[in-house]
Amino acid sequence: MVGLSVGEKHFIQGGIAQDLRSDGRKRLTYRPISVETGVLAQANGSARVKLGGTDVIASVKAELGRPNHLYPDKGKVSIYVDCSPTAAPMFEGRGGEELSAELSAALQRCLLGGRSGAGAGINLSALIVVEGKMCWDLYIDGLVVSSDGNLLDALGAAIKAALSNTGIPKVNVAVGASADEEPEVDISDEEFLQFDTSGVPVIVTLTKVGRHYIADATLEEESQMSSALSVSVDRHGHICGMMKRGGAGLDPSVILDMISVSKHVSDQLIAKLDSEISAAEVDEAES
Amino acid sequence: MGLQHTSGDLVGNMEVDAFRRLFPLPFFERYLLESIRPDARPLSSARDTTVALGAVASADGSALAKIGYTTMLAAIKMEVMTPSLGSPDEGGIAVDFHMPPVCSPLIKPGWPAEAASVLSKQLTDVIISSGMVNLKELSLIPGKAAWMAYLDVYCLNADGAIFDAALLSAVSAFSHLHIPAVSVTEDGRVVAVSGELVEGNLVKETPIKSMRKLTLSCIPFSLTCLLHKKYILADPTAEEESIMETHVTVVLDLSGRLVSFYKPGGPVHAHTSALQDCVALTRQRVKELQKILNEAIADMDLD
Amino acid sequence: MAGKSSSIAPTTYSPSPTLKVKKKQQQQQQPIFKDVDWVRPDGRSFQHCRPAFLRTGAVNSASGSAYAEFGNTKVIVSVFGPRESKKAMMFSDIGRLNCNVSYTTFASSIRGQGSEHKEFSSMLHKALEGAVMLESFPKTTVDVFALVLESGGSDLPVVISCASLALADAGIMMFDLVTSVSVSCLGTNLVIDPITEEESYQDGSLMITSMPSRNEVTQLTLSGDWSTPKIHEAMQLCLDACLKLGEIMRSCLREATSAPHE
Repeated sequence: MVGLSVGEKHFIQGGIAQDLRSDGRKRLTYRPISVETGVLAQANGSARVKLGGTDVIASVKAELGRPNHLYPDKGKVSIYVDCSPTAAPMFEGRGGEELSAELSAALQRCLLGGRSGAGAGINLSALIVVEGKMCWDLYIDGLVVSSDGNLLDALGAAIKAALSNTGIPKVNVAVGASADEEPEVDISDEEFLQFDTSGVPVIVTLTKVGRHYIADATLEEESQMSSALSVSVDRHGHICGMMKRGGAGLDPSVILDMISVSKHVSDQLIAKLDSEISAAEVDEAES
Repeated sequence: MGLQHTSGDLVGNMEVDAFRRLFPLPFFERYLLESIRPDARPLSSARDTTVALGAVASADGSALAKIGYTTMLAAIKMEVMTPSLGSPDEGGIAVDFHMPPVCSPLIKPGWPAEAASVLSKQLTDVIISSGMVNLKELSLIPGKAAWMAYLDVYCLNADGAIFDAALLSAVSAFSHLHIPAVSVTEDGRVVAVSGELVEGNLVKETPIKSMRKLTLSCIPFSLTCLLHKKYILADPTAEEESIMETHVTVVLDLSGRLVSFYKPGGPVHAHTSALQDCVALTRQRVKELQKILNEAIADMDLD
Repeated sequence: MAGKSSSIAPTTYSPSPTLKVKKKQQQQQQPIFKDVDWVRPDGRSFQHCRPAFLRTGAVNSASGSAYAEFGNTKVIVSVFGPRESKKAMMFSDIGRLNCNVSYTTFASSIRGQGSEHKEFSSMLHKALEGAVMLESFPKTTVDVFALVLESGGSDLPVVISCASLALADAGIMMFDLVTSVSVSCLGTNLVIDPITEEESYQDGSLMITSMPSRNEVTQLTLSGDWSTPKIHEAMQLCLDACLKLGEIMRSCLREATSAPHE
């Protein structure tokens, strides 16, 4: 945990109350974001996102699988996050496991929508190869390299960038196979289908310190939080997932207020992220 | 929750409680001298026992058994399996006994209780060796398909005589068991027709067995007795078990034949006459339990 | 537990063998959930919760315990402690809350492993930690162990409510009882207190855990695609149901203390 003196705590809390945080930001300003795509050669898509001192990597791996019999027209996506022991001293040994599980669950909730797949940021129907028989399974892995607060937003952004970097091989299905048999497929080495990521939401976490809430809290600021609300918002302002962290309770009216603020913040974040991702892809193509 | 033994004034009560905690053995021996136990039972009688059938809707057969505060929940799930080569015309029974952390302060999550695996084995031995269930009845197509009955017994509240309660809940679950109806698909697979519809290809259904119940014979019942000096205490509570360590578990079937006899060490070296007394007590107890089970079955049929 | 239901408030019901309910559900395989006027498999209206049966003191060796039965969802929770923390733990001047949720092997329709449910354990912890006055038992641990005997939908909300009842039964100091209710979104409909079947077809879900008398939300999760007015509506539904569930839990506790000791 972060060890802070009483004076430092007061400084952080006082700064937030006066809308001037320790690093000069306003309450709802994000730290500078940098995006780098195609960082892992083995994965179908990957990206590295730095948000101030927070550094995360996300990778996407696609494999052919069988769709769930309840939803024969949808592919499957799983998200798993790992916290590197180098990111923070408390992640050593099994220390990071609980946080990893929490982040994985939160990301699944934010990006994959309801159990029926409705409202998923990732278009699951696009992953189907042969209905009821074959689909793409996406394995999304996140790695926390360095932690300086607001991991969830950074991971959400990294996954969005990695997905837009993902190319899924084109599959040619042999025609004429009867309905019962396993379809024969030919996976192309050259042709890749680009993934549509316009619907992938961003995650905005508002951390409540004192009576105010701030966006993109650093580790020091997070240590002063009473509670936090993470909201995932897509381009159209729809809420795709939400969860609360921290022990203290929140008044329902405060929650509704935080939702509307996070929608407002998400507009700027989506715009910023889009320009960073396209810049990163240009960089990758040039190098 | 405490056992209210005397109706003295508050101060007197506190002193008795302190004496009970500090000197449990002398406390109990005083009672034993009067041939009575702190919960007002005579030495040879068991606690109130109840059986409720059909406690778990998601299982094929289930029962909740309570002996005093000791509570057991048993449930059976049936699955179709391929019978072993050695006995192609027999099904199987798999028994598992669980002591989840809810049941006792001594059990921590992730550290399964030692007693649980011992009791699993004992339960399996008694249920299989008593011949209560005719394994041939669980056969569907000899050599091809047979039922596997997965019996799971959960201890919800451990307050002594755990084996007795576990066995009672297990036999009750078997007497409540409804074997699902099955049919054979065209490609020779056996599917249960009660549960979810199996995907697609149910072209030709041949119902080979409809829903039915097992015929149980030689149902085993048990009684655990504590041995202390010359006393025999039937159906001990957890407190009694922690103070007096020698116990004997006798399992008899309905016709009075001995199925199992278990005395795991302990400081008391029992005379054969004491053991015969235990068997005699068990014989009485079997009649009680049989009556309780039959009443539970009758109640169930009424609903 | 189930056997000794003597005098029960009108809002609760006495559990009975549930075989018949099971058969009824099986006949109605895959109803058309998206229609505006479908009937829920158990015949409830959309905004009608299952009857709640609650009882404290299910396990006599625990400091406190509770049994909850909401339809086919059956949960037992034991609370142990405050007792000595594990040796490896650092000194702490506030108490610790340790939560564990596990399932029986026969809880769901397919036989499972009966192991610990890690996600629910941590969610239970988060839901309770804001309500329990940890400073009232320094240096020690309170263990909250939950076992889902049968899973019939809305398992986590039932576990959370039942756990707070068990904590109250154990005399652990809390700011308020914690109650939890979930809502499923199926097509355009909001369905409160969903059963397993409804949960497997849901497009979105919202679970709210609140301290009703303080009007505070201790835990909230939402998945699926939601518009703001819908969130508003669902939150109101949940909070209202939480308030009512809190009343039922209070009357259950009152009944337990006024009843003569056994």
